[in-house]
Amino acid sequence: MPFAVKDNIAVKGLPLSCGSKMLDTLSSPYSATAVEKLQQAGAVVVGKTNLDEFGMGSSCDNSALGTTNNPWDVARVAGGSSGGSAAVVAAGMVPFALGSDTGGSIRQPAAFCGTYGLKPSYGVVSRFGLVAYASSLETIGIISLDTQLLRIVFDTMRGQDPKDQSSRPFSPKASEKRQGEKPRIGVIADIEGLAPAMESAYRERLDLIRKKGYEIVEIELPMLEYVVPAYYTIASAEASANLARYAGIRYGHRTDWADEHGELTEKSRDEGFGDEVKLRILLGTYVLRSGFKDQYYLRAQKIRTLLRNEILSAFQKVDQILSPVFPTTAFPHGDAGLDQFQQKLADKFTATANLAAIPALAFPAGQSEGLPFGLQLLGPEFSEHKLIDTASAFTELWEPKTAPGFREWR
Amino acid sequence: MYDTFIGLEIHIQLLTKTKVFCGCSNNYGDEPNTNVCPVCLGYPGTLPILNTDALFMAYQVVGALKCKRAEAAIFERKNYFYPDMPKNYQISQFADPVGINGEVIFPFQGEEHRVRIHDVHLEEDAGKMIHAGDMSLLDYNRAGTPLLEIVTEPDLRSGEETEAFLRYFRTLVRTIGVSRGNMEEGNLRCDANISINTHGAGLGTKVELKNINSSRFVRLALEYEKERQIGIVEAGGSVDQETRLWNENKDITVVMRRKEESKDYRYFPEPDLPPYRPGEDFFRRVVESLPELPLDRQKRMEAAFSLTDEQASYLCEEKARADYFETAVAAGTEAQHLYFWMSGDLAALVNKSGTPLEESRLSPEKLATVLRLLDNGEIHGPIAKKMVALLFEEEHDPEGLIAERGWKALDDTSKILPVVKRAVDANPSAAEQLKQGETKVLGFFMGQVMKETGGRADPETAKALITSYVKGEIV
Repeated sequence: MPFAVKDNIAVKGLPLSCGSKMLDTLSSPYSATAVEKLQQAGAVVVGKTNLDEFGMGSSCDNSALGTTNNPWDVARVAGGSSGGSAAVVAAGMVPFALGSDTGGSIRQPAAFCGTYGLKPSYGVVSRFGLVAYASSLETIGIISLDTQLLRIVFDTMRGQDPKDQSSRPFSPKASEKRQGEKPRIGVIADIEGLAPAMESAYRERLDLIRKKGYEIVEIELPMLEYVVPAYYTIASAEASANLARYAGIRYGHRTDWADEHGELTEKSRDEGFGDEVKLRILLGTYVLRSGFKDQYYLRAQKIRTLLRNEILSAFQKVDQILSPVFPTTAFPHGDAGLDQFQQKLADKFTATANLAAIPALAFPAGQSEGLPFGLQLLGPEFSEHKLIDTASAFTELWEPKTAPGFREWR
Repeated sequence: MYDTFIGLEIHIQLLTKTKVFCGCSNNYGDEPNTNVCPVCLGYPGTLPILNTDALFMAYQVVGALKCKRAEAAIFERKNYFYPDMPKNYQISQFADPVGINGEVIFPFQGEEHRVRIHDVHLEEDAGKMIHAGDMSLLDYNRAGTPLLEIVTEPDLRSGEETEAFLRYFRTLVRTIGVSRGNMEEGNLRCDANISINTHGAGLGTKVELKNINSSRFVRLALEYEKERQIGIVEAGGSVDQETRLWNENKDITVVMRRKEESKDYRYFPEPDLPPYRPGEDFFRRVVESLPELPLDRQKRMEAAFSLTDEQASYLCEEKARADYFETAVAAGTEAQHLYFWMSGDLAALVNKSGTPLEESRLSPEKLATVLRLLDNGEIHGPIAKKMVALLFEEEHDPEGLIAERGWKALDDTSKILPVVKRAVDANPSAAEQLKQGETKVLGFFMGQVMKETGGRADPETAKALITSYVKGEIV
């Protein structure tokens, strides 16, 4: 079975560009544990896919290497940062692809391209071989059009890895529900910030689900308001250290001339990194400065703990939480789309799962104005299988559709 | 009068088989860039894995320094750019070091002095940048090797005392077996901070000293710096808070960076290494593994074997040496006699051959046998010396060797006398001199006798026979 791999996940002998000029000449000397496990099970890597540079973006337009179009409308973005993986799956080129999710980077492109996108619980899939952007938030995950395949790939990849000390054994709680019993679904009360067409599509889907006999309960998540600032503070802080190794010394882009090593590093980084990457490195350096650390980085960690507690108590009342993935459908390339700041604000539904370290599954829920419309389910730690079950049961609620020109890989 | 306050930041390289966060060999003397892998070269996507042997050694030091230990090992990233550091951050500890609030009691000028330990933390070392002509070469064999940093409080008062402290500290880490502790080889490195102030006024403005690569330089740099600071204050000035480098060619310190240039390392918790809790069993094994501390042993051995301070200190300087001594004593050797041989012949053999005492063929039990044979008069001093030298290099049974080489002492007058007669008769003029009272000629005849008997003749008997024969008292 062929599969594609986002180009920030190592496959021995293949490029590991991370969508950056900094690494566009690098060939990986080793393979990620997740990739090795799939290869051992007989799957074959057929290609690497585009991404926003180092995973920083929501469009794939931040790649230094090329543009990725949305198979539903090539004037629109595929989303990001795992846009390449979502696009190849939506176009039928591979049955599944690996992506990585730091703040929504699997789920948002999955929603934009009309596919499923699973972000597992933190630490359940080894991060060894995933190029670090924000280590405490990110995980390798899967994009596919087939929920059964999603489950098989997940079960093949997961497991504690001696090469990743932050990895954890997959230990789901025994279900209190009887087989086939419908989960109680929580929805966020007073949801804000959705595009008008999105909001009505969202309400319609809730009605459909309710009519199908699911109990829907409104829950309060006041901390949601702080998700985006907390997420960007932590992610940028970790990124500022994680990306420090790209200095033009051992591998990757090196400037043509420098008089001494400090200048060599400065010029190589200036030439090798794109604007968004530089912005986040600067931001991360700033929030960790002595005198500012308490105010930014440590406060963001406190918000993270509070949010996690809030989510945990929500799961006392409901089995799963249903929410939008992104406030809009796939937006156009360039200036007609969302600017970088609007894209960041739009991460609040997805980044919640990364801050809380819980699994989340984006699934296609029909279309809105001719473009794929996606929703996501969030569950307690290790509830991946139940999220897949619920999303599979929903498929009968709306007509599944594939992108124009879709041709299955076989 | 001025008070001087000196504190140290000591780094020791730990003697683990592999590096602290990957499986590469911890052997930085090898061909450059041979002990490296994607993890210690900081390749994208790699992750650190804590070497629990390094952690074990860290906790051994924490125990030996009587620190309060941390129940979990928590690592942080220390951020700064340098070409020899592959990730451009160092995995270190900051808020929660493995140990805090300890102490070292060490001997200085016949007294016991105390230095408080602020903290002990485990971290990774950087590689090495070597400048060659207009090139800079990088060797990453050392990158990721385990380093333990020990930070003292400013409890030392002089360069001399600091040198004595470092000497004892070296013995301490060698005794525990966690480091070679050699400053010249770079497996013990130290930075010092020093301030002076008028007597009773407390700490002054701190100056940090770097590039002090031997314990002698530590003493010289601190003494120089103390005088420099006193000079500034005496002249009505004030000392600047700064970092200075020791210039070993000129024997002076020079400014490296001023306070306002001090770095902000932006520490934050290492997300790749969740807090590691070694558990009770691990900590019990650490405690069980700790040997008697050198100063404790020194005091015990002084009392038990009636040794002088100096003798016991010499023996406890190396754990292997003290072990050797105690084993030989247990095998029945008299302590002073043993000390005499260990600090004399044996020390010379170790120096000459470069073979450490514990690796020589001469086990303490064998030495005990040789010294017993010497005490019993079965062999004489010169033979004992010969035997010790031979047994140091080669595997032999001491008693078998005596029989094989015919080294048994010759006490029998009837056997020695013919040799004496031959020597005297062959040298009539020397015999006449001795007869006239020139006793130094006796040595010449002794040499002749020993030469002919292969050193076996009993010296007292031989002397008496030579004198008597020359004087005609016997025929």
